[in-house]
Amino acid sequence: MADIQTYGQNSGMKHTLLRGLLYLVLILFSVYYLFPLFVMITTSLKSLTEIREGSLISLPRVVTFDAWDYAWNQACVGVECSGIKTFFWNSVKMAIPAVLISTMLGALNGYALTKFRFRGANIIFAMLLFGCFVPFQVVLLPMSQTLGRLGIANSTTGLVLVHVVYGLCFTTLFFRNYYVSIPDELVKAATIDGAGFFTIFWRIILPISGPIIVVSVIWQFTQIWNDFLFGASFSSGDSAPMTVALNNIVNTTTGVKQYNVDMASALLTGLPTLLVYILAGKYFVRGLTAGSVKG
Amino acid sequence: MASLTLDKVRKTFGSVEVLKEINLAIEDGEFLVLVGPSGCGKSTLLNLIAGLETSSDGEIRIGDRVINNVHPKDRNIAMVFQSYALYPNMTVRKNITFGLEIRGVASSERDKAVDDVARLLQIENLLDRKPSQLSGGQRQRVAMGRALVRNPDIFLFDEPLSNLDAKLRVDMRTEIKKLHHRLGATIVYVTHDQIEAMTLASRIAVMKGGILQQFDTPQRIYENPNNMFVAGFIGSPSMNFIDARLIEDNGRIAVTFENNGQNVVLPLQNNSPESYRSWIGKDVVFGIRPEALTHKRTGSDQPDSQYVNFDAKVEVIEPTGADTMTVINLGGKEIVARVRPDRATNPGEMMTFSADMNQISLFDPKSELRI
Repeated sequence: MADIQTYGQNSGMKHTLLRGLLYLVLILFSVYYLFPLFVMITTSLKSLTEIREGSLISLPRVVTFDAWDYAWNQACVGVECSGIKTFFWNSVKMAIPAVLISTMLGALNGYALTKFRFRGANIIFAMLLFGCFVPFQVVLLPMSQTLGRLGIANSTTGLVLVHVVYGLCFTTLFFRNYYVSIPDELVKAATIDGAGFFTIFWRIILPISGPIIVVSVIWQFTQIWNDFLFGASFSSGDSAPMTVALNNIVNTTTGVKQYNVDMASALLTGLPTLLVYILAGKYFVRGLTAGSVKG
Repeated sequence: MASLTLDKVRKTFGSVEVLKEINLAIEDGEFLVLVGPSGCGKSTLLNLIAGLETSSDGEIRIGDRVINNVHPKDRNIAMVFQSYALYPNMTVRKNITFGLEIRGVASSERDKAVDDVARLLQIENLLDRKPSQLSGGQRQRVAMGRALVRNPDIFLFDEPLSNLDAKLRVDMRTEIKKLHHRLGATIVYVTHDQIEAMTLASRIAVMKGGILQQFDTPQRIYENPNNMFVAGFIGSPSMNFIDARLIEDNGRIAVTFENNGQNVVLPLQNNSPESYRSWIGKDVVFGIRPEALTHKRTGSDQPDSQYVNFDAKVEVIEPTGADTMTVINLGGKEIVARVRPDRATNPGEMMTFSADMNQISLFDPKSELRI
């Protein structure tokens, strides 16, 4: 108010102009980011002839879900032409156990590192933290050898193991940082009440870990579902995850390029992570910023 | 219920010795308060008794049982924490019965126990709430209920009142005292508040720097502090210390110190300990509590009176209602005297004060120990 009174009309104009500029920039960026999605969705809803005749940004004249149906049920991945659906289930079978196991182990690690501090706990935590910075490519060869020796190469089980091992660093970091803010007295009280390591974990610590479990699950699910490198390296044929199958559909060199099917496949592949973000994104932010637990 | 004995208990963290040979013994039903400034080791000592930390040396006994290597859950103790440490995911009822449930007590028995405790602490209407829906005082009660329900040998309290506001703290203090009388329980209570220590304890252990300074009843600690630290820590406002010298004056031992270029001579009582005699001619620290230093009293002119008069200029007055704390400059130090409000004067005026020589302490200026 004071500003407006001092500088009068002129400043009000300036204010409106700046506001307008701000919105303009924001809208431009939104368009920039959303445009590819728009093209993907419209293309996936067009028929192949319409794609050939029309332009990239035109809306479909006739909306058809044929491409989606074809991608899901009939698209050829390598020599197998039964759609992307089997690979979707491969990804589900890989991601769900991997997410649950890595989250569970991360919670246990974080709990042990903060509430049952042992000699060398800091060194172990530092080493786990270091794991977050190891690039995927570095572990490819040793990992393939390990999987071979364990007899789980080219299997979903093998991929689950890889993702659990790789995700452990992150989930441990999440849970450790969350548990640091939980007062130690809670564990002391439970110890005097007679509860042991696992009882305290199950009955007291885990029930108050909701926000950080959401963070860990979202993070891990996104990472594992979107992973291509491990999927391409440690699986083949029938056991490949959806990302690898998508690549094989899009990169086929024979026949006519079916852009609508490519787009539908890509959208189908991205849909689960998108859904997780839409449904739980609110809790993700809340969990990341969650401070101490009020008791 | 049981007695508690600590025999030469030591605790070191790496090369740091946080507790140095603590010897304490309390009888069944006693209320022991561990008091001292932060970092004095009182909480560590409590954790040793609880078994949350292990002692480096020495023996801890509950009754006749040595418990050094007994797991906390098997020591039959209960503890109330400063932050209350209520389980946030459980209702008040669950919080109270958790320990019983873990110990496999039948659910009908648990229900009865929780009802008894809830009635005792007047929290019956809170049983189905979560801790986050309770006020500070209510949480405090629940934390006590969780300890009471187990009917342990010893209750341990770790600064349980320090998170409450002043008024509530006083109320809860009285309530803890009542509870102690009713249950006749053995209690070990940690606090940094000397008033809590004085009001609650049957015996006080004053600690500083990991060393037990004095272990005695509240009144004896107040009247005969072992050293200058205890003398200054217990009592509010704290004891006045004046650098003085012990002399013989007309056959009586007296303390003397310089005040505004004049020598003030305060003769001691004839019943003073013999040991004072060896200090004649030497420097001492003269300690006197504010309440022993007051306005001129009747009968204080008689030569063998316990009251000795002197004049001093009033610097500042701090009325508290019941008494007026009068700050005077004596022997180069600021000294607090406790004066009846109707006898207090204004700052800058001269006033005759009367020292009760029955309530004085003398300390060795070097070792700071009581003479």
